This record gives sequence, structure tokens and C-alpha cells, in this order.
Amino acid sequence: MIELEHVVKNFHADKNSAIHAVNDVSLKINNGEIFGIIGFSGAGKSTLVRCINLLERPDSGSVKIDGVEMTALKPKELYKARTKIGMIFQQFNLMPSRTVLQNVAYPLRNMTREQVRAKVRELLALVDIPDKENAYPSELSGGQKQRVAIARALANDPGILLCDEATSALDPQTTGAILQLLKDLNRKLGLTIVVITHEMEVVKNICRRAAVMDAGKIIESGDVFEIFSSPKHQVTRNFVRTTSNLSKIETLIKDESPMVRLKPGEVMARLVYIHADVSEPLISYASRAFDLEINIILADVEIVAGVMVGGTVVIFNGESERIERAMKYYREKNIRVEVIQDARA
Amino acid sequence: MPELNALLPNLMRRLPEFWKACGDTLLMEVWSGAIIFVLGLIFGIILTVTKPGGIMENRPVYQVLDKIINLFRSIPFIILLTALMPLSRAIMGTAIYVRGVIVPLVFGATPFFSRQVESALAQTDKGLVEAALSMGSSPFEVIFRVYLRESLAPIIRAVTITIISLLGLTAMAGAVGAGGLGDFAIRYGHDRNMQDITWVVVGVLVAGVSVVQWLGEYLARRNTH
Repeated sequence: MIELEHVVKNFHADKNSAIHAVNDVSLKINNGEIFGIIGFSGAGKSTLVRCINLLERPDSGSVKIDGVEMTALKPKELYKARTKIGMIFQQFNLMPSRTVLQNVAYPLRNMTREQVRAKVRELLALVDIPDKENAYPSELSGGQKQRVAIARALANDPGILLCDEATSALDPQTTGAILQLLKDLNRKLGLTIVVITHEMEVVKNICRRAAVMDAGKIIESGDVFEIFSSPKHQVTRNFVRTTSNLSKIETLIKDESPMVRLKPGEVMARLVYIHADVSEPLISYASRAFDLEINIILADVEIVAGVMVGGTVVIFNGESERIERAMKYYREKNIRVEVIQDARA
Repeated sequence: MPELNALLPNLMRRLPEFWKACGDTLLMEVWSGAIIFVLGLIFGIILTVTKPGGIMENRPVYQVLDKIINLFRSIPFIILLTALMPLSRAIMGTAIYVRGVIVPLVFGATPFFSRQVESALAQTDKGLVEAALSMGSSPFEVIFRVYLRESLAPIIRAVTITIISLLGLTAMAGAVGAGGLGDFAIRYGHDRNMQDITWVVVGVLVAGVSVVQWLGEYLARRNTH
């Protein structure tokens, strides 16, 4: 278990000003889970993850891994502890003057040449890139580089793998493959994985639990589905929106698309399903019950952590008071209604 | 041989002296070069790891070393040669000939080479250092297994440049009694206007520089992947 308590890390740009990169963060990550930390760039998530293996030493607070206080370790003990915490990076950070074999062998010690070779081959097979051991990193694609980096990070059989924007330099297809690999490793080895990312997609794809970070603080954390379906904080809402088709409506309005131009008396609203039974025919029911025309402009429903989330953007057309009643009905059904544009008098 | 005697009359009459001058220059290069290599590597590494943000950040050490290097780099070599004579006598027992010029050569070229090493090491991706630390490497391991190993090509280039500039310094050292090719060229080629000697010395130096440059580039390229 990784336990962070009141971790603070400041950077001093000059003598008078300090940047609170990590500002009083407490967090618990259980063994064997994939935990996401999401935030926009500059939110402090990279610094926070470096506080776990003490690449950044916190100014105050406690970092415990399986009950061992990391900040109290002597240098030699810390180096030893770090061999049990793997880390991979956005830029892969493979050593360019070493072959794949030599890169993966880098953290191995006290082994004969044959033992090293056998271990490296086993690791390369594990990350599914067995035929590249004599290639140099410059000869590999991004996805292959990250696989080698993962093999290297797992060389000393760590219990924890820290991923710092590990898929941010990869194309969507390769990202998917690497995430699948991480999921498999988590299952096969019982590996605890901490994923730092600015992409909601990544968290949605592999994490059960996550924390949202902004300006050095954790502003929201818990079940990914909870965060996704009912974001409490504006920053979280922005994140959720980045992955949803529903956010396209803002662009359409800005571009003055004829699709979203309202006639007098119409109301445009975003309906977001929270805990709703999406299978219920909500649109057609409301249309009939309140005698309204409800035009679906955009719809986006998807599966997050095994549960349906999403919503639609609709235009209500009808009597003003009936539109109110329809929106009230939706709210009662646990659907969040956000009025985007209102063309009633 | 008669043709050479006609073409290079003055040189041919002083051949033994010429060979000795070549030998002296080589001797100066090798001795001072070896010391400069070791010292410069050490200072370059210390600068790299103690600078702000380095893996063994140490402001006082960095500041002091940085200033000393700047100080010695800003003293013209010809002044260093005479200013260090007492020190040379104290360390080497003499201030002339090859032995006497090792100390000023070391003082003159070590700061230059240290800076070259520093900038070679600075080309190492900080991400590699971070990755090594995350895998449990100690700072000393990072120095040897990441910084030095991954900067092999730029370090070889730095050595090449330093050897060549050292050759220039040894010629200058000749002016204050160190002997060597510089001294030989000035004494005969310049002072007695024996142009054949000047040209041959220039030719030997050009050949030497070319060989060093070619070898350095070859080794650097072999270590780039």
C-alpha cells in the first residue's frame, strides 16, 4: 500500500516566491490496483508521483510504502527501495548508447552473464517484444520503446509501477496496446500501477479509482465511475467534457452552426445521465407526456468502469411552462439538466 | 637524398635537432595531456553534478570551481607561462625544457578541457539520469554508468579539440625555453629566416592535427547509435 500524508513540495523560482507544486496531498493506493492521477499540465501530478519514489523529496509530510517511511531511509536503503518501485516515462528514457538487452539489464546486479541474459529474455517476452534484444533504441518505434522501458522497470520484480504520462507521446492505437499491456501486467503479476495522465481516456480505460489534481491539490478522488458520472469540481467537469462528444456543442455554438441556431421559444439543454437507467425511453416519454418536440442534436453514451454514462444535447420546442415541467421531470429521474441556450422570451 | 638536400637545405643540416624537437613536442603533449585529461574529467564531472539541479547539488563547491576555471581561462597563456615559473620550479625542479613547461600547460588547458567535458555531459538527457535514479542507481553509478557512458562520443570530441589546442600551447611554450617544434620553427625559421624549416614544421603540425581530428571523429562516430 502506498500512503501519502500531507505531502508538500515547493519549488523556489527565486528567493521571494515559491510554487506549491504539491500542496498538502494525502492519498492511499491499495496493493494490486490501478490508480489514476489526472490533471492538466502544471497541476503537480508529475511532482506528486516523484514524491512516491523520492526522486523529489517532499518538504514535509509522510510517504509510506507497505508501512515503511520512505523519507526516513538512509541513502543506501533508499536506492534499494527504489529497485522495488518501477517507473516509466513519457519520453521512454532508454539509454541511446545501449542495446535493448543492455538497457533492460541496466538495473540487474549480482548476476552472472547467463542469468542476466535469461532474465532479460523473460522480461522481453513478458512485454511481447522478444526479437529486438540487439536493436538500439533509435531503431524502435514509440510503442516498442515503451515496452522496453516497461521491461526495464520490471527487471527487479517491483510491486509498484509508476507511469508518468507513459502514453502521452504515443498515437491512439499504440496507447490502447500499451494500456492493455499494463492491464495484463496488473492482473498477471498483481502489480500496483499508478498512472499519471492528462488524458481522461487513459483513466477511463484502465483505472478503477482515481484522483483529480489541480494547482497542487487533490480536488476530487474516488471511484472512476463516481468521478465520471457526477463530477463535483469544475476542473473535473472540464475533464469529463474533454472525452465526451457532448462538448462539441460549445464548438458548434461558437462556429454559429445552423444546426444549433434556436428559433424563438426553444431551449437547448445538455442532459447528463448520472445514475439513471438509460434504457428507459426518457426522450420519447417526455415528448409525449408534455407535448413537446424534443430534437436530439448530439448523443454520447459509453461504458465507464462497467457502468453506462453519458447523455444527450437536445432542443426543446413547445410551450415555455411545459419545457420547465419536462426539465423538472428529468431532474427527478436523476438526470442533470444544463441549459445551454434559452430562446424563450 | 640530394633532391631533399637541395629543397630543404637548412632542415637537412639540422635533422637530428628536428627529430628531437618532434620528440619533445610529443613528450609535452603526452605528459600534460594525460594530466589534463584526468583533472579535466574530474572537474567537468564535479561541475555537472554540483550545479543547481544536479544530482549532488552543492552551491559552494560549484561556485568556487566555476570561478577558478573562469579565472584561469581569462589569463593569456603567455602570461601564465611566466607567472607559473616559481610554481614550476617548486613542483618539477625546473622552469625550462619539457619538464618545466608541464605545469603551465596543465594550468592553461585544464580549465578549457573541464568546460568541454561539462558541456559534453550537459548533452546527456536529464530523463536518463532520472530513469537511472528511479532504478536505484546511486549518484556515483549515475556518473559512471549514465553520464560518462552516454556522453562517450561528445567526450571523445572534447578530447580531440583539447589535444589540438594543446599543440598550439606547446608551440607557444617553446618561446620560453621549452624546446619542441614551436621553438625550432621560431629559432631557425623566423629568427634566421630559414623558410624551409618553417614550412616543414607547419606541415608536420598540420599532419598531426589531421590525424588527431580524423581519429577523434572516427571513434566518436563508432560510439554514436
